[in-house]
Amino acid sequence: MPQIDIELNKLQEKLLEMWDIVEYQLSSSREAMLTNDVELAGKVIKLGKKVNRYDVKIDRQCENFFALFNPVAVDLRQVLSVLKINANLERIGDTAEGICRIVEKLHEPISQELAAESRLLEMYDVALSMFVASRQVLITYDPVAAREILKQDKLLNKIYRKSDKVIASFMNNNPAGIEVGLHLYNIIKKLERVGDQVTNIAEEIIFYRDAKVLRHKARKKKKKDQ
Amino acid sequence: MSKKVYKLEAKNLNAYYGNFHALKGIDIAMEEKAVTAFIGPSGCGKSTFLRTFNRMNDFIEGFRTEGDILLDGRDIYDKKIRVDELRKEVGMVFQKPNPFPKSIFENVVYGLRLQGIKNKAVLQETAEKSLQRAALWSEVKDNLNKSALALSGGQQQRLCIARALAISPSVLLMDEPASALDPISTAKIEELIHELKNDYTIVIVTHNMQQAGRVSDYTAFFYMGELVEHSKTKALFTSPSDTRTQNYITGRFG
Amino acid sequence: MTNSDINRYKDKAFQIFGIFCTLIGLVVLAVFLIDIAIDGISRIDWDFLTSLPSRRASSAGIYTAWAGTLWILVLTAVIAFPLGVGAAVYLEEYSRKTKLANFLEINIANLAGVPSIIYGLLGLEIFVRQMRLGGSLLAGALTLSLLILPIIIVTTRESIKAVPRSVRDGSYALGASKWQTIWNQVLPASFGGILTGIILALSRAVGEAAPLIVIGALAYVPFAPTTPLDEFTVLPIQIFNWTSRPQEAFLTNAAGAIIVLLCITFLLNGIAVYLRLRQQKKVKW
Repeated sequence: MPQIDIELNKLQEKLLEMWDIVEYQLSSSREAMLTNDVELAGKVIKLGKKVNRYDVKIDRQCENFFALFNPVAVDLRQVLSVLKINANLERIGDTAEGICRIVEKLHEPISQELAAESRLLEMYDVALSMFVASRQVLITYDPVAAREILKQDKLLNKIYRKSDKVIASFMNNNPAGIEVGLHLYNIIKKLERVGDQVTNIAEEIIFYRDAKVLRHKARKKKKKDQ
Repeated sequence: MSKKVYKLEAKNLNAYYGNFHALKGIDIAMEEKAVTAFIGPSGCGKSTFLRTFNRMNDFIEGFRTEGDILLDGRDIYDKKIRVDELRKEVGMVFQKPNPFPKSIFENVVYGLRLQGIKNKAVLQETAEKSLQRAALWSEVKDNLNKSALALSGGQQQRLCIARALAISPSVLLMDEPASALDPISTAKIEELIHELKNDYTIVIVTHNMQQAGRVSDYTAFFYMGELVEHSKTKALFTSPSDTRTQNYITGRFG
Repeated sequence: MTNSDINRYKDKAFQIFGIFCTLIGLVVLAVFLIDIAIDGISRIDWDFLTSLPSRRASSAGIYTAWAGTLWILVLTAVIAFPLGVGAAVYLEEYSRKTKLANFLEINIANLAGVPSIIYGLLGLEIFVRQMRLGGSLLAGALTLSLLILPIIIVTTRESIKAVPRSVRDGSYALGASKWQTIWNQVLPASFGGILTGIILALSRAVGEAAPLIVIGALAYVPFAPTTPLDEFTVLPIQIFNWTSRPQEAFLTNAAGAIIVLLCITFLLNGIAVYLRLRQQKKVKW
């Protein structure tokens, strides 16, 4: 195998390792939230440091790759996409960490009722499945599956747009639960961001495989990072 | 504490062609079983330096060295060292493929014949092993008696590598081994270098910086007879410590 | 008339002059050859080639002469080849570029231009008198060897020089000594060129009469030589001898002998050309 392929494989491997950690962070944050498992939340937050190290390491690897191999065409797109996927993964990890910090402030699990009403769990499930699907698409590329991920993001946006009203009415009815409501709204906002980031990842994969730029093409409203 | 013995070492090496000071106080130590690339503009002394390791410069009238060159800790310019023995230990591949006008087989076993080895089975076995090592065996195994000059440039160069490997050296010097070849042949040679470094210490002179990046573990930058910088290739190509190196590898020289 | 017209006429004039010069040489040579052929071709038959010399022109043959020429050819080749190649290898590969070496080089080139009669005198003193070889084949061959040695050395050096540096480097890099490199690479690669030079030199030696006359080769030898120490004659001497006779018939004999001599020379040159062409085709560096 040519050396350039060996190096690209190493890069991909590293990225997938990071992916696994972030996936664990994301699914564990859901777990921690539902059971108010502060210990698990702490673990997720701690893993953030590891993810950061991966982030730096992969950046460095990409830099070396550019310097030593002067990639062109598909190789160039792959490294460029790895760079951006890496950044997105790191931020998804940060988001999971952020959710866990909220969990640490909550004193009890979010009630099933509220979770269902605000469609929080549905959001979580969609975001997680998008995340897992994008990993699969990176390994075995399938343009249809990749575009499916982009569509799923719309559902997350829809839920998010409606959630403010749901939570406002919850807080009106439960003045004692205002704090919980704020936290809940925060989590929903974070999950919506996760959706955007996974979307970015999927777009990067499509760019790498098909050399098509999908970013900013659809007329969807992109929310700025908060 | 015993000092580490490097595979190849130069200690305060100065070299002259007559009055011309070609190499100025070079200190370098090279690891075993690693690829070290020498880069630098033409006339910077990198080829001269490479050729001191198997004393190919001895032929040039008016050439002399000061300082030490050590192979496994032994000074190769010592009077007790026999040059032909040294060259069995330190093989060399040249810029232009230079097969002898003989058959492929005779090219590979030339070094063995020089040593007086006549045993057919030994010659045959060594030829096959060396050609396999040089990734040429499958292409020539049915035509071992064909003239080496009938091979393509890339094949000729791999034949020259096989020829060098046949006398089982531990160091392989390569003087711009791919500069006369097309990109496909170049890629094959580079891949070969990656495989060979598992067993050999390789020093390669190259004008092609991408090539240095692709194949080497360490890179040494020479300028006007001086060794400006020697470090891991990754480090040298991402954050060179000397501005001259930076200017050279970014193509902003002079 | 413009300047460029003048130039064009000059060009044309020179072209015609050149053709004229070429033709003069060729025509004279052709006339000479045809004249010889007309005179001599009828004289050449089996008897002419196998008969011994005789006082009577009609029964005289050139057997002893061409046998002597062949002997001389082979002996000269055997003596001059190792000496010439050895000297050339030394000068090209071993000698350091000192003032002495330079001096030697210039003088070898000069030696090639020394008149052959001088070599004859040298041979007479050294080989015939000092070494007491008399007017033998060996003395003749040694003398002719001296004559062609400079030519062989110069052509051999040119052939050795033409072997590319890269082949030598390749050999040295595999641990070959100087001698191994010369023997295994340099000489085989330059062999065609060396051979060509030697054959051309020999074809010159074959035509020489003067130095052999000086060392005492005979005009009349009743028997073909059988050992290198025998007395001998060669074709050019036989021809010289016959042409100096008053009888018409001997002149015809001379013409016949000239044709035989020319054939030998052409044959040698032909071999040289063939070898050179083959060498050019075989090796492309």
